[in-house]
Amino acid sequence: MTQDELLAKMQKKFPKAAKTAVQVKDYLTVSLPSKDDLIPVAAWLKKEGFDYLDMLTAVDYLGPVDMKGYIRQANFNVFLPEGAAPQAESAAVAGYAYRPVLELVWAFVSMKDKARIFVKLEVPRDAARAPSLSGLFKSADWQEREVFDLFGVVYDGHPNLTKILTPDFLQGHPLRKDYVHIKDRYDE
Amino acid sequence: MGMILEKLPGITKGMPGGDLILTTADALIDLGRKQSLWPMTFGLACCAIEMMGSYAARFDFDRMGVIPRASPRQADVMIVAGTVCKKMAEPILEIYHQMPEPRFVISMGSCANCGGPYYDSYSVLKGVDRIIPVDVYIAGCPPRPEALQYAFVKLQEKVAKMSLKRGLATPQQEKGSRDLTA
Repeated sequence: MTQDELLAKMQKKFPKAAKTAVQVKDYLTVSLPSKDDLIPVAAWLKKEGFDYLDMLTAVDYLGPVDMKGYIRQANFNVFLPEGAAPQAESAAVAGYAYRPVLELVWAFVSMKDKARIFVKLEVPRDAARAPSLSGLFKSADWQEREVFDLFGVVYDGHPNLTKILTPDFLQGHPLRKDYVHIKDRYDE
Repeated sequence: MGMILEKLPGITKGMPGGDLILTTADALIDLGRKQSLWPMTFGLACCAIEMMGSYAARFDFDRMGVIPRASPRQADVMIVAGTVCKKMAEPILEIYHQMPEPRFVISMGSCANCGGPYYDSYSVLKGVDRIIPVDVYIAGCPPRPEALQYAFVKLQEKVAKMSLKRGLATPQQEKGSRDLTA
């Protein structure tokens, strides 16, 4: 089954699923209009042979990083005069579509067809919620916890949505662009 | 044993007739202590690869009496080889407190010294000396096995100066490890 055939088959069932302008490598990349479509699409893909959830992750599309949270000394070149322009700067790239959304990405693999499909869904940053796929794919369990830990996306229906990587005393979600580190007992 | 016997004439005095030697307790204890520095077997990051290289045949740490032990209760030295994450800080303290005294710590590589390239990270401890007293620091990212061996030579020099009268702790150890509950 070629990518076009798969896309046509998918769009027959889910007319609102659209092919994205930019693909992930050469794989078929489909964006979903709303989070209500995710579970039906995933269930349909699983039935069609895409029965292996390769990975899931999130991308933060907010503008440049706030360096406050990461770099104490923006100008690390000690030979520059006082008040020189900071060398470590996270500048906006012209023409790039910055927007306050988190883009969630799922990759499904069909071992039978040796094919892979990427499904994308955009959710607002301030209320990042998505349905959990852990009911359909066991492998979603820990990866959804990881995305919850690092990006703060709440997966509805997850059986145990708790921190998985960062220590308990770390506040906030470190991979968010607007993350500012709050000093803990190991920072003096 | 050959090493000890070679060095004995310098620090002991043979009694006429054999059977007895005279030496100070400090010299004998320090001699034994510095020739058998047993490190705790654990590595945290890429520095651990260099540490394994030091143990292996090419650099052969065993010839210096450095034999890795699998339990902190049998170890004298802790080689902190790699990046210390904040989540790893507590296990390191626990291992340190399980080691019998006198215990020594070698901080290996930039990450363990001060955080290194991860200095501005949210999850990395900026130097293992923030939680436990360090005896010898090794610079490098990662340091060569020779550098680790040189650190052991320096630690041996330090151990050789220890005395029962002054107590078992080095000045760094007098400072003590950090009380995380405080």
